[in-house]
Amino acid sequence: MGEFFRRLYYLINRRRFDRELESDMEFHREMAAREGRRNFGNTLRLREQSREAWGWTWIDHLLQDLRYARRILWRSPGFTLTAVLVLAVGIGVNITAFSIFNLMALKPLPVRDPDTLVRLQRRSPEITTSVVPYPSVLFYREHAKTLSTVIAMMGARLNLEDDAQPLKTNFVTANFFSELGVSAARGRLLDPARDEAFDAPQVVVMGYEFWQRRFDADPSVVGRVVRLNRKAVTVIGVAPEGFSSLNDERADLWLPVTQQPYFVDGSTVLTNIKDGSVSMWARLAPGVTAKMAEKELLALTNERRKQFPKDIWDKEYIRSDPAGHMQVIQPEAYQAAAMVGALTLLILAVSCANLGGLMIARGVAREHEIGIRIAIGAGRKRIFRQLFTESLLLALLGSFCGLLLSYVAMRVIFALTDPPKWMNATPDWRVMLFAMSLAFVAALFFGFAPALQIARQRQRKTIARQILVGAQIAASCVLLIVSGLLVHAVLHMLYTDPGFGYEQVLAVDPQLDQHGYTATTARVYIDELKSGLQALPGVTSVAMSRIPLLGEGYTSYMTVGVRGHSINIYPNWVDSSFFKTMGIPLLHGRNILPGETNAVIVSESLARKQWLGEDPVGKPLWPDGPGKDIIVGVAGNARVKALNDGEAVEAYWPAQQSDMPGMTLLIKTEGTPDDFVPRVKAIAKNMDPKLFPSLWLLKSGFRTNTLALERLAMIVSMLGLVAMLIAGVGIVGLVAYTVSQRRKEIAIRIALGARPLHVLSVILQQFLAPVSLGLLAGAALATGISQFLHKILYGVGHLDPAGYAGGIAVLIAIAALAMLLPARRALLVDPARALHEE
Amino acid sequence: MPKNEMPSGALVMLILRVLRSGSLHGYAIAQRIHLLSSEVLAVEEGSLYPALQKMLLKGWVTAEWGISETNRKVRFYRLTAAGRRQLETEVESYERVTEAIQTILRTA
Repeated sequence: MGEFFRRLYYLINRRRFDRELESDMEFHREMAAREGRRNFGNTLRLREQSREAWGWTWIDHLLQDLRYARRILWRSPGFTLTAVLVLAVGIGVNITAFSIFNLMALKPLPVRDPDTLVRLQRRSPEITTSVVPYPSVLFYREHAKTLSTVIAMMGARLNLEDDAQPLKTNFVTANFFSELGVSAARGRLLDPARDEAFDAPQVVVMGYEFWQRRFDADPSVVGRVVRLNRKAVTVIGVAPEGFSSLNDERADLWLPVTQQPYFVDGSTVLTNIKDGSVSMWARLAPGVTAKMAEKELLALTNERRKQFPKDIWDKEYIRSDPAGHMQVIQPEAYQAAAMVGALTLLILAVSCANLGGLMIARGVAREHEIGIRIAIGAGRKRIFRQLFTESLLLALLGSFCGLLLSYVAMRVIFALTDPPKWMNATPDWRVMLFAMSLAFVAALFFGFAPALQIARQRQRKTIARQILVGAQIAASCVLLIVSGLLVHAVLHMLYTDPGFGYEQVLAVDPQLDQHGYTATTARVYIDELKSGLQALPGVTSVAMSRIPLLGEGYTSYMTVGVRGHSINIYPNWVDSSFFKTMGIPLLHGRNILPGETNAVIVSESLARKQWLGEDPVGKPLWPDGPGKDIIVGVAGNARVKALNDGEAVEAYWPAQQSDMPGMTLLIKTEGTPDDFVPRVKAIAKNMDPKLFPSLWLLKSGFRTNTLALERLAMIVSMLGLVAMLIAGVGIVGLVAYTVSQRRKEIAIRIALGARPLHVLSVILQQFLAPVSLGLLAGAALATGISQFLHKILYGVGHLDPAGYAGGIAVLIAIAALAMLLPARRALLVDPARALHEE
Repeated sequence: MPKNEMPSGALVMLILRVLRSGSLHGYAIAQRIHLLSSEVLAVEEGSLYPALQKMLLKGWVTAEWGISETNRKVRFYRLTAAGRRQLETEVESYERVTEAIQTILRTA
């Protein structure tokens, strides 16, 4: 038994050991007395000294302090309640933010062995994409020794029978379910042995929620033959309830990826070596790290380049990220999470600074009690420890209430957002641990300095209080300015002209490239569709756009260095009616002509950045770069693809024949475009029955885009409001305390004939410097934060005077109000009574 | 009877030494040291029991119940193997140090 275990053993049997020691010492005294020697030592003290050898006396002190703290807090319920409430809000906001992060990025998916799952993505220094060509997946699966399994998945939209809404479908490798360790709720799931082969019978697995919704949980649906995209397929089973899949996309149907061409006529997904189409996941083999896997995959990629030199990019590599939780977090997302964390921590900072002020004020009220304790022999260290224990108890109470608050908040968020079934709002051990550590951090912030001040009998110094007021003002200032900037940005986005018309435009994507169309056949189809749509009564114009606008689909941009700055150019390939259809004005030069090549139209913002006010028409787009593109016109700014990016610029090229398979059409109507949806769909389909064109209204796409920003602005404004309220309450308390502390002085001043304004200024003087310093520091901090925010602040630069001025003005108003309300009481002091009391 | 301060660090060694010949209770340890030092050294309660607690913690002694000469139930401290080893090293280093001090006192 080592020393450590003896120590533990002692701790467990502390009472018995103490009794034994007591008996020993008693006996010692008896014997000494018998021999006529007397001992006058303090037995209790002697025993305590002896016990110290075991190193557990701190527990005794802690328990003693806790008991004392409980009594003290219980006896001043008003203070305790305020403190716990302030802390509960400050800590609760942080716990809620962490809970969300936890659900997204930390909590393991409810699948077998989530720790070994990795997401594999195709990268090169220039190109970022999440998808991999299917033949590459097969190649890696066959050769990679660091991966024990490879799973691939591809999202699609298929139509069941004659349903109006297409279904969320995932084409997956047949090992998908068995690798994730799930078993069927009904029937069976995909089986690599039976469903992997190309000539295997066509089968489909249904999602549990979809089965309930569409088939009323009818068990006889298993074994039935249904039609997907008008192709017969047998339902073999239903996935279990709350199955999480590998990402947060909740699919209605799962099909073996090898059957994809059966459902999507002319699809080349399974054989296309060059273009990515499927998302790839894998399990790391036992003992293999992600780095080792990345290294092997790089070697395999280089090997594959020898086989297909044209299809593998320069310096292509496969990036691996842990994938055992709901979202694969990229470094950029961590930045955003860190920013949100910083904002919520500011709320905690406001709470702590607030409470710190209260603690000091209480220290003054407790001077008498603490004086007595020092007089009967308590050291500074002991007093400090006792006060800090009190803070700790408060912080733990606050943290517990914060946990409750955050649970309520999480329930509300769950009710509003429809999260996956496997998630729940109950805090898990990570959240509990976070709440505990936050309590300690908070206690350190609000309790440490005041306890030190009080233990050193310095609680009457104003400097500590001034620092705390300054800190509160600074932190609330940051929150208010940031929320002001965000609100301003959202208002700007919602109520100013985005530079294009979206209300009357409908988009259709026939998805020709998915059905094996060549450039020539696609050209014929697009021309025919265009003239068919133009013939519809009520349609004003029809235009081509290679990039799908404001709908599902990808965004791509080129980052180009212009005059030392890098700017994002959003390209599109369009026809001459595009500008009329989208309502984008042509400011200079001419429109593009049908069949033209080497021409380009730039947005006004690009023209300004690249040519600094000169007329760019007739000049080459890349003055010293490759290509012969000549600028023929300048169009108005229209950040259709980058509503959030205030610095985005656009360039439009005439669409060529090779762009046709990926082309979408934009249809502008006279009235609202909603009624045109079925007619447009029918026309596009009648021309080729194997197509399943997708349609969307630009205005709904625009709404979706702005909604996220609106939510963000709302949350940040709420945080700002909470911080401001807490800070306001804190200032009210401190000023009221100052008034009561200086009652006598005020009474003398009034008795000697001071004017009310003078009396007020005497009291408020000490807060003037901290408030102004806090405002300054807050504004400076906010500038730093807005550098990060700048990307999502559409239309508002990071030095938005209205946002700053608004935030600061509101804060000054609140601070003034919070000071004047309690300060008024100073004027009501009756000099005769106040002086008489002393 | 003049009471002399115990040299610091020596108490543990003396306790270990008097326990070598057999287990004793706390008071007897103090008595024994007092008598063997021809009543020069006195061991006070305030230093004896903290030292004993420390020795228990280190595992140099163990305590077991026994009956005192006054017929009272009391704990007897007994040397362990580790205590015996500790005694040897302490005596050894003590002798080395005193010898060195003696040398200086004689020759300087």
